[in-house]
Amino acid sequence: MTIRSSERRAAAGFLLPFAALYAVCFLLPIGYAAYQSMLRIERTGPLGLGGSRTVFAGLANYQAALTDSAFTQSILRVLTFAGIEVPLMIAMATCLALLLDSASAWAVPLFRSSFFLPYGVPGVIASILWGFLYVPGVSPIVGGLHSLGLEVNFLGSGAILWSIVNIVTWEFAGYNMLVLVAQLKAIDVELYEAARIDGANAWHLIRHIKLPLIRPALTLTTVFTIIGTLQLFAEPLVLRPISTAINTSYTPNLAAYTQAFVNNNYSLAAAQSVILAAAACLLSFGFLFLVGRKENR
Amino acid sequence: MKRWRHRRGPVTLLAGLILALGLTGCTGSKGADPTSTPQPGEKIELTFWSWVPGVDKAVDLWNSQNPDVQVKLENIPAGASGGYAKMHAALQAGSGAPDLAQVEYQNIPEFLLENGLVDLSKYGAADDQSKFIDWQWQQVSYGGSVYAIPQASGPMGLFYREDLFKKFGIEPPTTWDEFRTAAETIRQKDPKAYICTFPPGNSAWFTALAWQNGAKWFGVDGDNWTVNIDSPETEQVAQFWDSMIKDGLVKTEPDFSNEWYKDLQDGHILTWPTAQWGDAIVSGNAPKTSGKWRAAPMPQWSDSTFASANWGGSSTALLTGTKYPEAAKKFAVWLNSDPASINLLIQGGYGWPAATDALQGSALDKSYDFFGGQKINDVFAEADAAIDKDWGWIPTTAATYQHLNDGFQKAISGQGTFVDAVKAAQEQTVADLEAKGLTVQQP
Repeated sequence: MTIRSSERRAAAGFLLPFAALYAVCFLLPIGYAAYQSMLRIERTGPLGLGGSRTVFAGLANYQAALTDSAFTQSILRVLTFAGIEVPLMIAMATCLALLLDSASAWAVPLFRSSFFLPYGVPGVIASILWGFLYVPGVSPIVGGLHSLGLEVNFLGSGAILWSIVNIVTWEFAGYNMLVLVAQLKAIDVELYEAARIDGANAWHLIRHIKLPLIRPALTLTTVFTIIGTLQLFAEPLVLRPISTAINTSYTPNLAAYTQAFVNNNYSLAAAQSVILAAAACLLSFGFLFLVGRKENR
Repeated sequence: MKRWRHRRGPVTLLAGLILALGLTGCTGSKGADPTSTPQPGEKIELTFWSWVPGVDKAVDLWNSQNPDVQVKLENIPAGASGGYAKMHAALQAGSGAPDLAQVEYQNIPEFLLENGLVDLSKYGAADDQSKFIDWQWQQVSYGGSVYAIPQASGPMGLFYREDLFKKFGIEPPTTWDEFRTAAETIRQKDPKAYICTFPPGNSAWFTALAWQNGAKWFGVDGDNWTVNIDSPETEQVAQFWDSMIKDGLVKTEPDFSNEWYKDLQDGHILTWPTAQWGDAIVSGNAPKTSGKWRAAPMPQWSDSTFASANWGGSSTALLTGTKYPEAAKKFAVWLNSDPASINLLIQGGYGWPAATDALQGSALDKSYDFFGGQKINDVFAEADAAIDKDWGWIPTTAATYQHLNDGFQKAISGQGTFVDAVKAAQEQTVADLEAKGLTVQQP
């Protein structure tokens, strides 16, 4: 079968706005960053003040990024973070969604909105808000635990990662829940009726009908979560002034930000950004590949 | 999660990179821009980027007195919070940079490297040298040229709680040994109280303490930048704080944090070795402790000579590309040396004037109720006269601060010591400069 040229033109017309925006807002910046990451500035004269020129540096910036222990530690840190955050987030969102979908749930719109509400709070504001709950001397939580004889330091080196996990989960669990709820709502109720006639209880419904049928949504939210955790930025940036355990290269994004806007080294920042993008790509597609292989089995 | 807000992270960053580097392609340096001298009667407008509170009033005063040279002030975020990134981006783009900008002393070399500042010695800056305090003039001079007009600094002293010192039977420490003894007494008398905090995330403060002890971390030797961070002077300071922390004599909470303000309010932190501008921080954040604080000179390392230090300092610089360097320089000198302008800036809280003889009769020359009626600025005037003028900066000072912060934070969490952090910062700083294509001389 052949597609007529008019149809072809129509398809191209519909695709054009997307393709143009995708190229301008996504491909072009990434391409430019990749180009930028392979440049280096050379200086001449006493104190280097005799002028400068930009030269091709090959992969020198990538080498510099990957041999910088602070940067590699930041990658390991976000991987650890993702290892904790992704399962926690998905479990939490799934539980909330299933609770809202259960037969005995009441005031569903109210609870759905309340669970979703934190998503409406910008990440920076959420971090400031939680920051106040973490700071000793100000926080009622730290104060309350202290009066019970428990000394906790949410901002110390041992706990800070967990404190950020808490903020991020609080912010996004409701959003992911909503994606799952939407797919749960799309399940045909006749399936439940048929299952009940066969003697299935609520748990059986979850295990054998709901979870398998919301699998695409679970996959989607997992990929979102993987990408989001690797790009952790706002929370550590905001908590940094009140914590002694967050440095300027705490996460890869923060490291790139520091290189670009504090150290004025755009090329190294570009290299770090490209490395991060590649890692996020690898993990996301790796996950999708695993899921796909399992499905095809 | 993780939807568009988070995905925007790298995109914004990339967009920023594009903005920053946009159309410049492969040209890093530019030749001298053509400048022009305004004809008599011609009106010109200069743009000025600053974040200093109160500078708007001084600019208004200038504009009312100079109808032909109008200055348009644009408020930008403080340098390290994005102001410098904005300037660098405008300089690299080759357009959009202001005629004048706020540049802190430690950031001047980083702008020199981008060929971003106008050499004022070409416009007769030598004639203005006598209007400014010598050590601050040195802060804006590199390689025989002058790159900015000094504005303000932060000579250091010790704020302390006189009421609690009296209660615990402690005299204000005149040496760091006495400081340590005082810290021990405070811990014994009140288990909740500490003498001060060591802010592990604010190495600019530690830098000032090393400066006081005669360290000269950065400088210029002939054609090379010099780096000498892990000198015996610095290590002495690092060892001092290492042992203070090991023995539990200081807190390690961040300064300028709510936690720290609360401790100042509650009398759990009894002193703050800080710059003159710290008075507004203490009185603004612990107003109920009014009348209980006093200022004393910095504790000393040696009995023989009195040495103070400086924390923070800022200048007004002309950015490359300005069409009216003569008029802009005239404004910069007026802003920072005219008594009326200085008084407006003092009222805004800009710090310690860089102009000579600016204290007497100024808004700083008064007794402070918050400090029990003490004329605290007499202490800082004495400090200002005892600041080592040979201290300089390098183009990668911001990165050195980060290396120290990272090392200090590690030490606080039990990995290594401050001395280790200082040694690591030395190596990393040399590497930073070499990565910029510069040659470095080490001791």
